[in-house]
Amino acid sequence: MYAIVEIIQLVFLIAVAPLIQGLIKKLKAILQGRIGPSIWQPYYDLRKYMAKDEVVSIHSSWIFLVTPYVVFTTTIVVVAMIPILTTSTLLGFTGQLVLVVYLFGVARFFTALSGIDTGSSFGAMGSSRDMFVSGLAEPVLFVTLLAVSLPMRTTNLTVITDRAVASHTLFLSPPFYLAFLAFFILVVTETGRIPVDNPDTHLELTMIHEGMLLEYSGKRLGLMLWSAWVKQVVMFTLLIDFFVPWGISSQGFGWTLLGSLVVLLIKLVVLAILMAFVEMSYAKIRFFRIPRLLSAAFALSMIAIITEYLL
Amino acid sequence: MKTTVVKSSRHELANACLNVLHQQGRFITMVASDEGERGLDRFVVRYLFAIEGKTEIVLVESVIPQDDPTYASVSSWLPATSWAEREAFDLFGLRALGHPDLRPLVLHEHWPEGVYPLRKEYAMTQTQPRDESRSWTYPQVEGEGVFEVPVGPIHAGVIEPGHFRFQVMGDSVLHVEAKLFYTHRGIEKSSEGMDLTQGLELAERICGVCSVSHALSYVQAIESIAHTEVPRRAKFLRVLLAEMERLYNHVGDIGNMCAGIGYAYGINHGARLKEQLMQMQDRIVGHRFLRGAIALGGVANDISEEKFTIINTTMQQVQQELTEIVEQILSHDIVIQRFAKTGVLSEEVARELSAVGPAARASHYDLDVRKDLPYAAYDELQFAVPIFEEGDVLARFKQRYLEAQQSFQLIEQVIEQIPQGDICVPLGELPLYSYGIGITESARGENVHFVMIGEGQTIYRYHVRSASYANWPAVAFAIPGNIIPDFPLINKSFELCYACCDR
Repeated sequence: MYAIVEIIQLVFLIAVAPLIQGLIKKLKAILQGRIGPSIWQPYYDLRKYMAKDEVVSIHSSWIFLVTPYVVFTTTIVVVAMIPILTTSTLLGFTGQLVLVVYLFGVARFFTALSGIDTGSSFGAMGSSRDMFVSGLAEPVLFVTLLAVSLPMRTTNLTVITDRAVASHTLFLSPPFYLAFLAFFILVVTETGRIPVDNPDTHLELTMIHEGMLLEYSGKRLGLMLWSAWVKQVVMFTLLIDFFVPWGISSQGFGWTLLGSLVVLLIKLVVLAILMAFVEMSYAKIRFFRIPRLLSAAFALSMIAIITEYLL
Repeated sequence: MKTTVVKSSRHELANACLNVLHQQGRFITMVASDEGERGLDRFVVRYLFAIEGKTEIVLVESVIPQDDPTYASVSSWLPATSWAEREAFDLFGLRALGHPDLRPLVLHEHWPEGVYPLRKEYAMTQTQPRDESRSWTYPQVEGEGVFEVPVGPIHAGVIEPGHFRFQVMGDSVLHVEAKLFYTHRGIEKSSEGMDLTQGLELAERICGVCSVSHALSYVQAIESIAHTEVPRRAKFLRVLLAEMERLYNHVGDIGNMCAGIGYAYGINHGARLKEQLMQMQDRIVGHRFLRGAIALGGVANDISEEKFTIINTTMQQVQQELTEIVEQILSHDIVIQRFAKTGVLSEEVARELSAVGPAARASHYDLDVRKDLPYAAYDELQFAVPIFEEGDVLARFKQRYLEAQQSFQLIEQVIEQIPQGDICVPLGELPLYSYGIGITESARGENVHFVMIGEGQTIYRYHVRSASYANWPAVAFAIPGNIIPDFPLINKSFELCYACCDR
């Protein structure tokens, strides 16, 4: 019976991902004094890409063709592992933080390969930069997750969230805020937003994530974009699970579930607004300064871990 | 503006040019022409120099025979002449002996060898088969870890076509080779035989955003041949139009430079203010890009008192907002980190390559045609020419801002001081085969036009050296040592035009 709820929350997150993307775009447009596209635009885009013909370079190999499916599948598997509306998840029995990190790692590995695969210089530049950034971001992500999971004494997502919901003193401890800041920096990095990457740029020489997608078209481009949007809400949801989990039920049906859904939507919208503001008030930092930003996140998580033991 | 002609033998050109250079000469451009029809044997090259501290232009002129179309290259001593000599080889077949790099510039490698389109016997309607035998050659860097990155001519955004070949080590650029002239429209060739009014329409279309400056250079060249004294009111109106053009360009570029670092605040406010200025221009002269405003012998339409009021109000508003916006931009840490010490153009390179405009002034090269060779009513108005020492993106950003401030003041002065009177006078006599030079300062630097009159008051030879043409070689020197993701920003800080470079 839980399976139904678990499937509902899986489908919900995948379906709501383009809306959050559209919302951030709309908010950014409003903040910039523009009207901007409708918040439903990402759905229209997806429908368009799915119906469109594809152009595949003759120089590319099977990796280029397979990557969108690999990326999409791994992203969905991650969605099945994280608490969204309820803490019981389809793949809850494997729900380890370490696995989440490495599933994203697989997706990133294939995306980087596909960027190099076509032999286009922008794809290769995008891949090399993404590897540079993620080589730094991944260890920092680990330390940050450690800072989060240490107070809960487990790396199981379901348990972490359950305990976080039950805890009344969670937001009273200093490590909580330090870890929150560190994780927020990582969310910005992982979703490819300003100041790390500029998702709206047309300057091919400055691209990181977009550079790797330049050669894609049609259905595969649609899948790559959708995966990126889902990954974005996954990062948001993880942030919610760790830091503002209230509203997530442990085993919910009916009204409880609906309540969780509304609460989650509100939280996602608030995060979207926060993201839009961050993107508006910063410019892209020089590429070689990204390590500094990430080392700040690293330092914050380290302090969080140490204070956890001291206090 | 006094013009002195120095005649030289084609073998002694370098010496003659260096002589002028030693008298504080600054190379402006070289004009080649096919003057067989006036009884010369047959080609003429003219090196133009402006003399610093004087309102004088010196031409070093040499005739080159048809049988042996060669001359001694000047570019080994004066690198600024390199492009002009390559272009003369492409379009006229005049071989500069001793030129270190005579690769095709304007016509690319697929144009058949030995076909020279600017020679008079070549008809505008002729077409040429694509020559596949040659390929583009460029300097390459070798070594472990050195890669080559080709970019363009088609870009991810809707921008003009240009091909860039980067030699990189990781993300650091060792060398960049730019291949331009994809938008070569044969403007100089197609102008030949046009009557002078048609020529003006053509001049306005050389560049999208420098219409006034190009039109003004063109009419000034012709007015100097005809010894036409433009009415004072027209001179003031010309300043007004030229400054309005500089202003919307500088305001737009300030926003554009923020686009190089993805700073949304600057991008959008820059775009908004530029739009406001352009809508005002539409109301004042009926064209957003100020086309059709300049006329031979004056200006096309008078501007009424009510319109001056509109300009005044808009200017005050834009000035206030621009000041606030630039303050906000320059107080942002990331902006300063990205702009400062990025894309440094040294004063030495700027001088060697005869760079012009805001880019040269930001590298401590103090030159401005409005002061040095005053035209229109600039000698009657008060303005300063800001200069910076650093030569980086930040200096070019501030340069534009300070110049915009001067433009506000100039426009204010014009509106206060403009006299009543005629706005246009008929042209005087235009002797056959006489030529004139018109130089004006656009938002990118000086635009130099050379016009020679042919039979029936038509254009015999028209040469355009745009500010972008003068500055493109300098851009390549500002890139090495920077990282590839900074290239768009550096490029935007020069904000050069492709179309008016390619013509």
